[in-house]
Amino acid sequence: MIASLRNGILASAAILAMGGLAMGSLAMGVLAGHAAETAPAGRLAPPQSFAGIADTTARSAALFTELGKVLTNPRCVNCHPASDRPRQGDTSRPHQPPVTRGADGMGSDSLRCPTCHQDRNYDPGRVPGHPGWHLAPREMAWEGKSLAEICTQIKDPDRNGQRKLDDLIEHIGKDGLVGWAWAPGAGRTPAPGTQAEAGALVAAWVESGAACPAP
Amino acid sequence: MTRFSITINGEAHGPVDLRDDLSMNDYLREHLGMTGTKFGCGAGQCLSCAIIVDEPDGTSRTSPTCIVPAVNFDGMAIRTVEGHAKGDELTTLQKAFIEHFAFQCGYCTAGFLNEGQVLLERLERSPVARAELETTIAEALDGHLCRCTGYIKYHEAVRSVILAEPQRYLA
Amino acid sequence: MRASRREFMTWMSAGGISLSMTRLGQAQSVGFDARETLPGRARWNPAIGGLGRIDGEPKVTGAKLYASDFRAADMPGWPDKTAHALLVRAPDASHVYLGLDLARLSGAMKPTLVVTASDIATIGLQVPDFYAGDLFCPVGRTPFYLGQPVAMLIFDGFDAYDQARVAVRDGTFVRFGEETGPIEAENYGAFRFTRVAGPTPESPDLYSPVLAGWVKPGRVQHSPLPVWEPYARETSDPYGKAARYGETIRAGLAGANADLLVLDRHFETQSVDPMFLEPEAGLAWHDGRTGTLELVLGVQSPFDASEAIAFLLAKAKAPFKPKRIKADFAYMGGGFGGRDHTPFMLYVTLAGLFFTGRPVRLAHDRFQQFQGGIKRHAFKMHSRIGVDRRTARITAFAADHVLDGGGLANFSPNVATVAATAAIGIYDIPKVDITTVALHSRGVTAGSMRGYGTVQTLTALETLVDEVAAALPLDPIAFRRRNALPPDGRTMTGNRYTVSVRTMEILDKLETHPIWAARAAEKARPRREGILVGTGVAVATKDYGTGADCSLGRVEIDAEGGISITSDQPEMGNGMGTALASRVAAHLGGMAEEISLARVGVFGELALVTSGNSYTMDQKTQDAAERNSRWVPAISAATAASNGAHVGTHSTSEAARVVFRFGLWPAALALWSIAPADHRAEQWAQATWRDGNLHFADLPPLSLKALAAKAHASRLVTGATTHCFSRWAWAKATFPVQGHRYAAEIDALAIRRGGGPFERVARVAVSFPPTGNNRIGTTYGAACGTLVRVEIERTSGAITIARAYTILECGNALVPEVVKGQAQGGFAMGVGYALLETLPPFEDGPGNGRWNLGQYVVARGSDLPLHDFEVEMLPPLTPDEAPKGIAEVVMIPVVPALLNAIFDATGHRFQSLPVSPSMLKGALA
Repeated sequence: MIASLRNGILASAAILAMGGLAMGSLAMGVLAGHAAETAPAGRLAPPQSFAGIADTTARSAALFTELGKVLTNPRCVNCHPASDRPRQGDTSRPHQPPVTRGADGMGSDSLRCPTCHQDRNYDPGRVPGHPGWHLAPREMAWEGKSLAEICTQIKDPDRNGQRKLDDLIEHIGKDGLVGWAWAPGAGRTPAPGTQAEAGALVAAWVESGAACPAP
Repeated sequence: MTRFSITINGEAHGPVDLRDDLSMNDYLREHLGMTGTKFGCGAGQCLSCAIIVDEPDGTSRTSPTCIVPAVNFDGMAIRTVEGHAKGDELTTLQKAFIEHFAFQCGYCTAGFLNEGQVLLERLERSPVARAELETTIAEALDGHLCRCTGYIKYHEAVRSVILAEPQRYLA
Repeated sequence: MRASRREFMTWMSAGGISLSMTRLGQAQSVGFDARETLPGRARWNPAIGGLGRIDGEPKVTGAKLYASDFRAADMPGWPDKTAHALLVRAPDASHVYLGLDLARLSGAMKPTLVVTASDIATIGLQVPDFYAGDLFCPVGRTPFYLGQPVAMLIFDGFDAYDQARVAVRDGTFVRFGEETGPIEAENYGAFRFTRVAGPTPESPDLYSPVLAGWVKPGRVQHSPLPVWEPYARETSDPYGKAARYGETIRAGLAGANADLLVLDRHFETQSVDPMFLEPEAGLAWHDGRTGTLELVLGVQSPFDASEAIAFLLAKAKAPFKPKRIKADFAYMGGGFGGRDHTPFMLYVTLAGLFFTGRPVRLAHDRFQQFQGGIKRHAFKMHSRIGVDRRTARITAFAADHVLDGGGLANFSPNVATVAATAAIGIYDIPKVDITTVALHSRGVTAGSMRGYGTVQTLTALETLVDEVAAALPLDPIAFRRRNALPPDGRTMTGNRYTVSVRTMEILDKLETHPIWAARAAEKARPRREGILVGTGVAVATKDYGTGADCSLGRVEIDAEGGISITSDQPEMGNGMGTALASRVAAHLGGMAEEISLARVGVFGELALVTSGNSYTMDQKTQDAAERNSRWVPAISAATAASNGAHVGTHSTSEAARVVFRFGLWPAALALWSIAPADHRAEQWAQATWRDGNLHFADLPPLSLKALAAKAHASRLVTGATTHCFSRWAWAKATFPVQGHRYAAEIDALAIRRGGGPFERVARVAVSFPPTGNNRIGTTYGAACGTLVRVEIERTSGAITIARAYTILECGNALVPEVVKGQAQGGFAMGVGYALLETLPPFEDGPGNGRWNLGQYVVARGSDLPLHDFEVEMLPPLTPDEAPKGIAEVVMIPVVPALLNAIFDATGHRFQSLPVSPSMLKGALA
């Protein structure tokens, strides 16, 4: 017999299970697109579905708003943080262990990004990977910003890595690290749609004048 | 499967064929029986599994082993906790850990030892000013979790080694 | 093998299984025993000279020490190959379990064997009461709790196991059907603790748990909570009497009385994980040819684990019933209570039994440890405190505690009662009424964890006291001083402490510390824009011991003066090995060369027997049982309840005392040519050790080596084994030794003369503490106070602990650096509990199998004031004051001190844990 109850008491009678505690979940603040047809969650509406918007500027802004589903997705925002510390996971919690961008956006002297983030995802440890893993520069921070602010920022060469608008089509539509957002590995929800669909939205947005949504 | 060779604490291992998703931690612990390298979280969070990678350029860094496939270490030279002491002679840092009671249960010790050792070697190459020492140690060790001691004694132990030879580690 | 490694086999009969809790001696130098004996003769021993610790060298060189380090190939005499078991647990406890999607584990991931509820149903297992509940959820039933095992998959090879482990992690591998909602079950325990003091401090209590016994409410059908109110005539004594006193106290707190300040507050604490760094692991080999089941485990309770396993299998059918069980206990990578009585070892046992002939390893990864490991109880507390505005004295306190015990009972009733009886902290309160109930829920099982209910109730109390002080108003330390329990005052169970109560000294230290003295100036000092500064204080007292504590210890000295120690106490990082060496050195003048821990089955020379339950036994039964000189109330206890220093080292210390008294001292007398009849022959207590030499009067100092050689040559006592027992007081016995009647705080003794065998010395008189002591909450307490200064950034809610100070009293600190380390570690764990760590209770919580560090954030170095945390220990009251257990109390005041500092900074009182930056930001918005 086990004779080691801490104060020698036997469980007595009575009943019941404890009420559930509500857990707050972190709202991601994804802006609803005003596309003619709203794409289901996890999908992107194609550029042609915005053809019904006659006003070019409004259509352009709507295209960007649809693209915003990607830009404000945790897969993207987590490494475009407002501070020097990236975020992590679908809830965009602060990155653990507590790494910072360091001098080159690749971590501090003792905690370098590629030390853990290897050239591909490692699902047994649920750690994402890509050969170019790094933090977006400070001036490209998106976290906490409205889509209108992100739009203005993404067009500003001083805050988009000196990219022309056409470069953005390439960057979002074809860059390997950006593409990781659609294949993020176990335990993480991919960005909506596909990288090609996101690229098509950027192209249509640029073509339609690269207008920004109203603030 | 991938053909794999590695040098551990100066000793060559392999070539051997390894499953591509076998973690370095399991290679050390399950294949070689080198259990001094610990398994804590399997998610790159606690770094009790960290080992030292000696780069060809003469520098060294630590790396977790639980979230990195063994095959990614192919051709590298690494050091583990088993390789610090030379025979029965412990390193200065190992002795400092003991004398400072840096650890209690000791499960995180291998990771802290490797990180501390890499820091010492880094400071030998590029010393820091005395005023930056505490911050430098704190940053270097911050990736490592310890649940027993509250970290202070690890910091004191590393600092004591550096301050005992300021000409070697400090600018 | 050295002499000290000679094994004393104890074959305990358990249902016909012989049970051995050690290994037979093995020739291999790296066998399990040798690895676990530290540091080993001729190795560098950092503890000698007072520097460092006895387990230091193996831990900095990566030696195999922990249960998770061992594979079959490391075990002498075992087959080389290790199979691997995977425990699959339910991520849902509201739907019917339909089985496993085994088709997903085809090809390289195919298990060799699957063990389920139906497989174990027919083999005759009997689950010990403590672990009652289905070991595996049967198909067709709703799991009893999240994380309940549904099957064990065993794989011949590591690769298949490793890939399957990852494949099943997302939980969809376990199939569920119809929704049933969670399974309801009875609570684990409900109690009421009521005390009404007499009119003056000197007068006896009118009512107390010690006077009237501990009481429970009756059962009421279909009631979610116990019905606490006495149904006037229907509720019989003894509960009715407590309830009537209790309701009167409550009425006094509810009534209108302008002179009485009454605060009525709710406080909630969260579930957390002990997060010891080494996930639970074990190794089993059932050798079908010899019928032996061998186990390697790492638990805080080796003796109880062995007993539970033997009980589990006592009525098993062939071939599942081993003829004998040999259990090896390894060092632990942390424990914090979470390795005390966990069910994990039962599954290690089953893995070995079902995979007969082949060694099997069962090891949690961190996801699985979160899913299946013991958690800390979440509490909901409702407290009412009444304070006389004119005197600032607390007149009454009432509280109701509801604990979420999770899926299995485990230690829930005990945590509930320890929490309740500790709930008035350091204070002297004449009228107290506390109800507590631990509920079953579908959450992961909660059990023992550092702080054991007290960190919850004292966080509620110490924040409430801070609020009272502000409301009166009175300085928080002055208020505490006015209400502190005096050393001769009664606790809320109605007994007095039998150890020092030094609250006033702690309060003095806190009051004069610069963090407190400069708190107003620091708050006013200009800082960076938007930084709020606050200072908080809290004081706690925590019991140590369980009311039935015991330990076993053996000390041997060889002819060269080499000392060996063997103890039943395991090492989980609490410095047990070094503490034992330190206590023995006080008697024998030298540090041990070998220490072997967690050795529960090697004390056969004492030939101990036990019977009954020492917690519930009546006096008559004890009086009858103790006539057998081999009988003790309990043989070996877990290292738990901060009892390591006080109880765990006691038997070994007493053994060393015997070796000195009847070995080295008579050897010294002989070398000094002092005749036995000389009056100086009795002055052994006046001899002292300095630098390895024994000094006495003006006689020439003698070296330990010379004394040991003489003791061996003259066949004096060179080894002693003792057992000790405490039920809030030590058992004491008298033994005939070398013509003396030797009285000591031990209840069993064996001695060795020269190089001869150990021989039992039958006690000739014994005094066990009365069974009535089981009504006591505690008589052993240690106090600790903490000051913290925080800085909070208004815009982000980010909180920084700028400075902190902990003052504690621990009697004689056996190893001061370990005490300091415990205080530093307790601080870090307190910071995590107050500000960082939290587990949602149910489907979103750890039972879903998807939790790991990252979501679960524990304190790192950067969360702590690494260079601005000061720990101070009060010096012992007397040079021989017994050591006190402090491993838990050092964590407790940290939590309320932080909350009080947050209030000081923000003006907001948080009533739940943890306080996150977003909560702070919200409160400051």
